[in-house]
Amino acid sequence: MLRLTDVSKIYEGKSQVKALTGVSFAIESGEMVAVMGPSGSGKSTLLNLMGGLDVPTAGSVEVAGRDLAKEDEESRSLFRRTHVSYIFQAYHLMPTLTAAQNVALPLHIAGVPRKEVDERVDRALQEVGLGARDRHLPDELSGGERQRVAIARALVTGAALLLADEPTGNLDTVRGAEILALLRSIHERGSATIVMVTHDPSAASACDRRLEIRDGRLVGDNRN
Amino acid sequence: MRFLLSTLSLSYATRNKAKTFLTLLGVVVGVATFSAIRGAQSTLVGGIRSTVDRMAGKAQLQIAMEGGVPEELTETIRELPGIRSQSPVIEQVVVPERGELGSILVLGVDLLGDREMRDYSFEGDDADLDDPLLFLAQPDSVAVARPLAKRAGLKIGDPLVLKTSRGLRTVKVRGLMTPKGFAEAFGGNLIVMDVFAAQDLFARGRRFDRVEVRLADGTTLEEGTRTIEKAVGPAYRVETPDRRGAQLEKLITNFVAGFNISSGFALGIGTFLIFNSFAVAVNRRRRDIGTLRSLGATPRQVMLLFLVEAAVLGLVGGVLGLLAGASMSQSFLKLMEQTSEQVFGIINASEAHIDGTLAVQSVLLGLFASLVGAWEPSRAASRIPPTEAFAKGSFQAKRGPLSKPRVIGGLALFGAAIAFTFRPPFGGNPLILMVMGLCVASVAMLASPASQALIDRVAPFAARISPVAGRLAADSLMANPRRTSGTVIATTISIGFVLGLGGYMGSTKASMLRWMHDVLTSDLYVRASANFTNPDSRFPASFREELAALSGVRSVESYRGMRITVDGEPAMLGTIEVPLMMKRVKHDFLQGNDESMLRGLSERGEVGVSDNFHRLHRAGVGDKVTIATPSGTVSFPIAAVFRDYTNDRGTIFMDRSVFLRYWKDDRVDTYDVNLISGADIGKVRDEIRVLVGGRMPALISTKREFVSEIGKAVDAFYSLVRITVFLALGVAFLGIVTSLLISVAERTREIGILKALGAVRAQIARSVALEGVALAVVGYVLSLPIGLLIAYFMETTVAEVFAGWRMPHQTPWGLLTELAIALPLVSALAAFVPARPAARTKVTEAIEYE
Ligand SMILES: Nc1ncnc2c1ncn2[C@@H]1O[C@H](COP(=O)(O)OP(=O)(O)OP(=O)(O)O)[C@@H](O)[C@H]1O
Ligand SMILES: [Mg+2]
Repeated sequence: MLRLTDVSKIYEGKSQVKALTGVSFAIESGEMVAVMGPSGSGKSTLLNLMGGLDVPTAGSVEVAGRDLAKEDEESRSLFRRTHVSYIFQAYHLMPTLTAAQNVALPLHIAGVPRKEVDERVDRALQEVGLGARDRHLPDELSGGERQRVAIARALVTGAALLLADEPTGNLDTVRGAEILALLRSIHERGSATIVMVTHDPSAASACDRRLEIRDGRLVGDNRN
Repeated sequence: MRFLLSTLSLSYATRNKAKTFLTLLGVVVGVATFSAIRGAQSTLVGGIRSTVDRMAGKAQLQIAMEGGVPEELTETIRELPGIRSQSPVIEQVVVPERGELGSILVLGVDLLGDREMRDYSFEGDDADLDDPLLFLAQPDSVAVARPLAKRAGLKIGDPLVLKTSRGLRTVKVRGLMTPKGFAEAFGGNLIVMDVFAAQDLFARGRRFDRVEVRLADGTTLEEGTRTIEKAVGPAYRVETPDRRGAQLEKLITNFVAGFNISSGFALGIGTFLIFNSFAVAVNRRRRDIGTLRSLGATPRQVMLLFLVEAAVLGLVGGVLGLLAGASMSQSFLKLMEQTSEQVFGIINASEAHIDGTLAVQSVLLGLFASLVGAWEPSRAASRIPPTEAFAKGSFQAKRGPLSKPRVIGGLALFGAAIAFTFRPPFGGNPLILMVMGLCVASVAMLASPASQALIDRVAPFAARISPVAGRLAADSLMANPRRTSGTVIATTISIGFVLGLGGYMGSTKASMLRWMHDVLTSDLYVRASANFTNPDSRFPASFREELAALSGVRSVESYRGMRITVDGEPAMLGTIEVPLMMKRVKHDFLQGNDESMLRGLSERGEVGVSDNFHRLHRAGVGDKVTIATPSGTVSFPIAAVFRDYTNDRGTIFMDRSVFLRYWKDDRVDTYDVNLISGADIGKVRDEIRVLVGGRMPALISTKREFVSEIGKAVDAFYSLVRITVFLALGVAFLGIVTSLLISVAERTREIGILKALGAVRAQIARSVALEGVALAVVGYVLSLPIGLLIAYFMETTVAEVFAGWRMPHQTPWGLLTELAIALPLVSALAAFVPARPAARTKVTEAIEYE
């Protein structure tokens, strides 16, 4: 499903930052993987590379048989539409759109016909348990509800790879646990591959596998 | 895409109404100014053609001369072969006592003979008009065009009071005309009367304005023209109505073209406001754009999204601008008509209208300006990496290091502007566009580094004055260099224009005033007409004796001006008793001196020319000026060149005796009356009033009044420059307000945190005001070099190219001081708009904002 080979990422700026150095691993289809490590260790960078949001300085990132490092911006965008979905710590919902409109966004970007959109949005919202709040603006929802909307937005495209960057980071323990359970159930029901960055050991233990990053290097790879 | 637009963009627009409105306003102002000016221009130009055409009727040739055609000329023409008929005409625009009726064109014709030329379509079974002799028997008879009669509620037998140069005069309606063909001219605001009655009513003496001719069958236009030209001499213009229309049209086209600068400026500003708003919106929506990208939107989709937003704004703004323009164009037209009547003597009255082509053009221009303005920001948006969405905290564009090539490039452009100002490689409109373009480009390149440098210096200082408000303002300016420099560019360019054009007007006015002070040294000025450039009545020469006989009067000079053509270019001829004038006036000579001028003009029949004539015609002492006079073409040697601001096309002076010899026209425009020292000006003035006593129109002014009246005429001439100045000032403030609104919206979170830390409303409001003041001050400082350069450029290069004058440069201290006080003050006031919501920000909401 996903293979990283000797991946390095260097941010050029006033001072060079080596965010990742020689990282290699593979993830099989249908796995649920946790990525752990201290702040600044390169977790988000890793996730960005896996989703083709960014390209590595060296090495290759193969997703579904394509080397994203070699593709241009445009084709990586098109690839993302159908293959990858994101869930962010800070939700990143469009503040001016309702819950349903936010969920519909990726489908509209991909040019899915309108009739089909409504149907799929409804289903996705039902799945995250938000069927009744589809007309609310993000401002009118709680943090947990917002994250559910974000998850529905990630599910709606039916992408095979789901990348989540600290999806519970902004939530209290109870809401965090709920979101986690939701992700877990999504994982169990479907065949989605989930990669989730987290600081929370209990969240990590809910996953099949745990990758440890420190100072941009892969230092641990354990199966639960 | 449709969804993205209809939901994302639309919801953004409705949630940010104030900003969207301001962005829209940029396009609206630009398109409105453009369409209003263009509409007025084309209406005026078109109106002149059709007025001339309609008025001419079946006349094939018109014979005219500056100052009027003497009655005797009709005798000469009568004897010529190939003439079927001729008809004398007097044309005068008057304002009725009932001002609400608007200007009326009075046409004086020979009603007995004129039906050959024009079809009057007299109406009704009125006996008076069945027998023109009855109509003519009463000199106050007029026939009124039906539309005017209807508007004024005039019936046969009603009186109509007209304001003439001789005071109020009453005429009687004794006929009505159907508005078709000729009676439609001048918008139907037309009166016809007997030509001899008109001569008297409008103090034309024994002259007509022109004589119209119809040729006998078989005589061609060329033959007819040649025959008449040979008989009347070179001082007369013999031309077809069509050619006359074309010439007037050309004159007026040049004049109205001046307005293009204003409309171009307005459009440019509209584009810039769009650019600014979009640059800021893109920056503000970075995170949303990043999110879209992470959801699979391609760079092209993002760019398209913003461009379509711009297109919609452009179209909406274009349509609104067109509507606003349509309602404004009548005022522009009135302004242009007034000037064209006063300066060129070209009459017109039309309802301004914007035709279909112009309407489409205007809306498309709004669209185009909007797209051009949004292009670069949209491209920047498409380049935002999707990882942006992941960035924690509020993202701000990092300020780039001072880019050396950019600074050097900007300085080089400014250097080029300076070089072109001092050594213009070519002339005319291209040069103006070039220098203005260079100035704008150099500001665009330098404003960002320069404003950074300035704000870096000012910020710590502001923070020290007011630890909360000052620091907050400084932070906000430094944190978002993109917004700051955008605003600074807009304010700098606008204030630069204000300073440039305002400074130019100031210098011009000051030079003219100084010159008038030197030249207008008589005690009293007695004028026959209120119009300087195109007088509508003149004094008989004999009046001079009567004035000179008054007690207290030392001497009287008779000034007579006349518009002439030299080498195909219009110029002014000024005539006076030179020896008398030289005794009181100190000229500033470029060539020759008092001695050569006095001798040359009064003894040898030579002429003196103004400095601008000298430059425009490249003629000086030793050269000759060739003028077509009623007595034939004469070449006059130039005796002296001196500074003179009488006319912007150049002035030639000659002694009155020489003028009388060649022109045989002794009427006088203005008597310059010099008193013996100690005489009571007020008393002499009263005596002159008694002397005039309703016999003829006369305006009697003291030196000071005369100077101020001319000053007003000069001001009227510069009215369009003033419009541009106001536009520019408006833009500067619009730019600052937009920027502050956005700044406040961007800092909602920051403001909330500050309030959580105990900052009070007043402190927040003060910080917004301070930010506005800082922007105004930076824009002002940066505009100084540009503004002064533009002023200098206008005073020397532009003035020389167009009028041949080089105005001595004068630093516009008054304007500089006014702006230095007004700009920060008004910016602080303008900041009130965004400061209120800022101060009201709720702590909880603000913190939620992320
Ligand atoms: N766009 C960027 N430009 C420069 N440096 C960056 C950029 N993004 C990340 N970095 C640096 O790369 C390193 C890794 O960052 P990354 O965001 O991947 O860490 P992280 O493990 O996700 O941290 P956290 O747990 O705090 O989210 C950090 O030192 C960070 O400062
Ligand atoms: Mg991270």
